[in-house]
Amino acid sequence: MHDFEPKIVAFVCTWCTYAGADLAGTSRMQYPPNVRVLKFPCTGRIDPVFILRAFQKGADGVLVSGCHPGDCHYMAGNFHARRRFAAFRALLDFIGVDLNRLQFSWVSAAEGGKWVEVVTDLTERVRTMGPMPEFKELEHEELWSTFAEATAGKSTGLNITGDRSQVLNTPELKEAYDSIS
Amino acid sequence: MNAKANKNQLTSIEPAYYEAVTEAIRKEAVKILKEDTVVGVVGYLPGRRKGTATPALVTSVEEAEKLVFSPACVNNLSVYLTKAKKGVLKQGKVGIVAKGCDMRALAGLMTESQLQREDLFIIGVVCPGVYGFGVERTGTLTEANIARKCRECIVHMPEGADVAAGTHAELADLTPEEAEEMARIEAMPQAERWAFWKEHFSRCIRCMACRQVCPFCYCEQCLCDKNRPQAVESSPRPAGNMAWHLVRAMHLAGRCGGCAECERVCPMDIPLNLLNRRMAKELKELYDYEAGLAPVEKGPLNQYKEDDDQSFIK
Repeated sequence: MHDFEPKIVAFVCTWCTYAGADLAGTSRMQYPPNVRVLKFPCTGRIDPVFILRAFQKGADGVLVSGCHPGDCHYMAGNFHARRRFAAFRALLDFIGVDLNRLQFSWVSAAEGGKWVEVVTDLTERVRTMGPMPEFKELEHEELWSTFAEATAGKSTGLNITGDRSQVLNTPELKEAYDSIS
Repeated sequence: MNAKANKNQLTSIEPAYYEAVTEAIRKEAVKILKEDTVVGVVGYLPGRRKGTATPALVTSVEEAEKLVFSPACVNNLSVYLTKAKKGVLKQGKVGIVAKGCDMRALAGLMTESQLQREDLFIIGVVCPGVYGFGVERTGTLTEANIARKCRECIVHMPEGADVAAGTHAELADLTPEEAEEMARIEAMPQAERWAFWKEHFSRCIRCMACRQVCPFCYCEQCLCDKNRPQAVESSPRPAGNMAWHLVRAMHLAGRCGGCAECERVCPMDIPLNLLNRRMAKELKELYDYEAGLAPVEKGPLNQYKEDDDQSFIK
């Protein structure tokens, strides 16, 4: 049995963090090879759906990194991204995703050291948390398994045969339904 | 907004109130059609079954005299200006009957430049609430049959309408079921929250009714219909369902006015408005923004401040 090696996907902006990661490389700094770097023009280009997709396709942790506030190549992309990701984090939290698997950071082109630190921290944190099963399990599940459970009478919250009052919302409909069955 | 101060201690809204509102709507609709102020009025006509109402675009005085308002007028009519009857605004100014939640949607659509205020004649309705799902439609609105969203309504008065039909009326002492449910979910351990939503979303049949009925889902091509590359799986399997509902909630963040039409039309009874409410709450806490109370220049996710909270960013 191999030790668990987390898969980390990093969405980075090309102007700051990608250059920062490049600097870490050219400076021969060591950081975990678990991270897969994806380059974007700007953090403002990174749609929350990319993060979902990464989790669904098997990422155990996601890093989003871009320019420090005020340094955006496109003036305000990272400011917009900051608000969007603040909202997205709240949504993921409400849905029940562990936010420790999702890291945001500002890493400038000069901060090779900070890149190493951020990536190492996230990788080690995810390593102790273990694999992320939630989204991956969804990928392999079929809807009919829920129906199978529902028809077998297990509690799934879905009660097709029992309580019709949810569906038949008027007396007339109820009457019509009763006359059929 | 001073509703709380002079709140009527009503336990039911009698049919007479709705008849008075109906009368006022008819009068106004007939007037603006006669005067050629508008080319048509979007409102409600009686449904074919007793105790129902159906959205309609009326263009003649005779039809306008049949307009109604009752607790069965659940639909958010603003969708008829952006999607369902898209061509109608091109022909001229349009009248629309709007409850408080419809007003919020209209204000949001004006914020997003989908509608112009001068193209609309808004007949606001002082709405005490509408029927919920699966209730007895007796004609009288009580705590027993009021919709869940109406229990926490903050827009009984249609602010910013051209005329308002009805007087102030509001049921007293409603339990905020939705807020309680949201607090319950928030208090759950994380794994339970995941299980809760997973169970709900796995029921989704991807009929897209929530999208079709939403005034804010007006994109010509939805991200979720694109397949090159495919962002969200389109078949009704758990993975795609989860992604679709997250994308939907995210795209409505800071825009949704809470009309809960998505939840009403959902054939699988997924509590979609809880997601919308949660996002609205977050944006209120973070950026002190409430969607749709008045048309503004930009929504919260289309603007920024240099000192926005970034405590979650390393």
